Amino acid sequence: MSTPLAVTAPRSAPVLHPQAWLRKRRVVVLGCTLLGVLLFAASYAFPYWEFKLVAPQYPKGLLLHISLTGITGDVSEIDILNHYIGMRTMSDAASLEKAMGGYLVTLAALSILVGLVAAGKRLGWLGLIPALGLPIGFILDVVYWMYTFGHTLHEDAPLHFEPFMPVIVGAGTIGQFHTTAYPTWGFWMSIAGALLVSVAVMMRKSICDACPSHAACGKHCTHLLVVVPKDAE
Amino acid sequence: MRLAILTTLLAACAGSAPAPDAPTGAAPGQDLASIMKDRGLNEADILAAAKTYTPSGKHDEYVIFASGGHGGNIITIGVPSMRILKYIAVFGAEPWQGYGLGGESDKILAEGNQGGKVINWGDVHHPNLSETNGDYDGKFIFVNDKANARVAVVDLADFNTKQIVKNPLVMSDHGGAFVTPNTEYVVESSQYAAPLANVYAPLSDYDAKYRGAAVFWKFDKEKGRIDQEASWAIELPPYGQDLADAGKLVSDGWVFINSWNTERGFGSGGTGQPPLEATATKNDTDYLHVINYKAAEKLIAEGKGEVINGMRVLPLALVASEHVLTFIPEPKSPHGCDVTPDGTGIVVGGKLDTHTTVFEFSKIKALIEKGEYTGVDAYGVSVLDFQGSIRGQQEIGLGPLHTVFDDKGFAYTSVFLDSTVVKWDYNHLNQPVESLSVQYNVGHILAAEGDTVSPDGHWVVAMNKMAQDRFLPVGPLLPQNFQLIDVSGPKMQLTYDLPIPLGEPHYSQMIKADKLHPIEIYTPIGTNPYTDSVDPGAVASGKERIERNGTHVDVYMSVIRSHFAPDYIDVNQGDTVTLHLTSLEQAYDQTHGFAIDMYNVNVSMEPGKYEEITFVADRAGVFPFYCTEFCSALHLEMMGYLLVKPTKG
Repeated sequence: MSTPLAVTAPRSAPVLHPQAWLRKRRVVVLGCTLLGVLLFAASYAFPYWEFKLVAPQYPKGLLLHISLTGITGDVSEIDILNHYIGMRTMSDAASLEKAMGGYLVTLAALSILVGLVAAGKRLGWLGLIPALGLPIGFILDVVYWMYTFGHTLHEDAPLHFEPFMPVIVGAGTIGQFHTTAYPTWGFWMSIAGALLVSVAVMMRKSICDACPSHAACGKHCTHLLVVVPKDAE
Repeated sequence: MRLAILTTLLAACAGSAPAPDAPTGAAPGQDLASIMKDRGLNEADILAAAKTYTPSGKHDEYVIFASGGHGGNIITIGVPSMRILKYIAVFGAEPWQGYGLGGESDKILAEGNQGGKVINWGDVHHPNLSETNGDYDGKFIFVNDKANARVAVVDLADFNTKQIVKNPLVMSDHGGAFVTPNTEYVVESSQYAAPLANVYAPLSDYDAKYRGAAVFWKFDKEKGRIDQEASWAIELPPYGQDLADAGKLVSDGWVFINSWNTERGFGSGGTGQPPLEATATKNDTDYLHVINYKAAEKLIAEGKGEVINGMRVLPLALVASEHVLTFIPEPKSPHGCDVTPDGTGIVVGGKLDTHTTVFEFSKIKALIEKGEYTGVDAYGVSVLDFQGSIRGQQEIGLGPLHTVFDDKGFAYTSVFLDSTVVKWDYNHLNQPVESLSVQYNVGHILAAEGDTVSPDGHWVVAMNKMAQDRFLPVGPLLPQNFQLIDVSGPKMQLTYDLPIPLGEPHYSQMIKADKLHPIEIYTPIGTNPYTDSVDPGAVASGKERIERNGTHVDVYMSVIRSHFAPDYIDVNQGDTVTLHLTSLEQAYDQTHGFAIDMYNVNVSMEPGKYEEITFVADRAGVFPFYCTEFCSALHLEMMGYLLVKPTKG
């Protein structure tokens, strides 16, 4: 039996599939969604981005870890170094985001779950917004704050630096420091979560298309979770 | 691989043939053979160098804690490199550590004052590391000050002196600081007899009123401090007690102390009578003091004894009648008193006798239990038979002093007059195994964990009182000489000479470096090292302030690269000023200093540390203060002003 390509099937005449086919797809969709959401939740506890600064007098290097809840690592030391060029302290950065981090992840996870399980064929794709929004939003936020910090150097600082854009990905040099900046565990977890949710959204569409109530379907759908109509067989 | 190259080179160099051509790639004169020739080095020198040389960035395997003698400090030295790592200030002011120069450590030094006398120095003799089950645990080290009968506690978490206790009974000490196997007690016994608690008595009352004492300082491991309330002492006859050691394993619960003046001589007074050195050596024997301190502990628990100058003391008559104290004759004016690793023997160095005497603990204990005494001394203390108490005597040489042990059943004794280290077998007293010349006049000796229940062997250090021709001349006052000896092979090999240029070391101990776990910075920020807690005067960033209360000015100041906040302080002449300094630094090795010109103030501000400086601003004028560590590129700019406004008229 060849696998029917649901997307190509005319809407008015849905292709019917055996129960087993549907069940398998439903399990995959639910599995991907749950795993994706789980990864988002877990990423909350891991740093998303790592900045490393190495200089002769810091043989072990200095580390900054940026996570959804804040900045950890050698914060006080980097603040002390930054004050020489008039940079604001890390505690000034992204205070709203840091405070909201937990809520944002919870909200994203909930809306993905609700979107996939409850939304009908027209709104099913909405789950992609929080899924992709989390990692992309994070990067944009980091870029924004890096730019802001690099461009609001205090004029009374002991050392005068031209405004600059710190390196976000890759290697750079500031004074005697060699810096490297890379995404790390948390970020990769959220990317993996976004991919899994994307897969779930795509596959869900094929289930929708194969659904006997497809034509009548509207905003809501409960078929994914509980009921598969008799006539589906 | 590297070893193979070295061996090959050595083999090449050892032959009588001319030095081989430089290995390909080495610049002319830069190969090992040429360097050896140019510097006049032989194969043994190269081996010694290879055994001790420690390249940059590599760490030593052992750490020596050496007494700094009348430098009043402790010297830490890495082995095998013999690099000096740090001086730890104990009994005297030390500017680099900001010790005793206006800050919190003044309070520690002041603990050692007594009777209104300020004492600015100490004569550190015997460092002793804290022990658990007879083995070093790397947590604390205790030292005694012979000159003023004091004991100090140094915390090895931050290598800082945390407490000084003044012996309330005696004027000088020597048998200390020795710990019992679980650091229950730090034992400190007297050296020169004097009336207890520093009352006056003429020398004609020497026999009746002059006394020695052994103080058992109770150590509180949790608090890391000596509990003076729970400490007690035993009164001893005026015999000039000397070195001491605590028993271990089978002899746990006992303490052994030498003596050198059972003649009770006290000098000639310019009367033409023989001087003390003659009277004190008149008899052939002095007494090894054997103290059953568990029995003494019981008497203390029963409330026996009397309180003298705030300390509970068991009187001589009581410890004699209860046999807490027993004597055994020992060759006259001996020195070292060292318990063997298995606790079965006590080795006493003859000094004026060419032997070491090994006392057998089981025999001593049996005699005491059976009550077999040969008599009593002038104070009623029972005396045991010498021959019946010993394992035997070992012929060593002229002037045997101290003994340490290795892991293979050998003892190493320092021999002062012969200037040798003699290796011998303390279980089978035959001929000594080997003798090695050292330069010169070796005093104490130490071995890797060599006085614990499990010595490590490998390294022995001869602590020589004289250096003579060993180093470049530096005027008439010469450094001492520490010589590192490799004892791991069949023959002892001298590998390194280290000049000690700050005081005259006495005893030292060597601990495996991985037993030490020092902190890197003080956490949390504002920690007062002398209370081990965040000080109420500590200040957070942004909370710096100056508070005036009448004529008292409190300054809550933060210290961080590269500024003090506040950086100027206005006071009036005569005000009492308290500076509460908090280092907000958290990076390893990011130390600041704080010195006020003309006010004799300098403290060290390690990361996270709290310091408190109180002084009367009695001199009017403008006094810069500044950071005394080159902390950063803007170090010079890290300064401020103390402005003392003159009072009218």
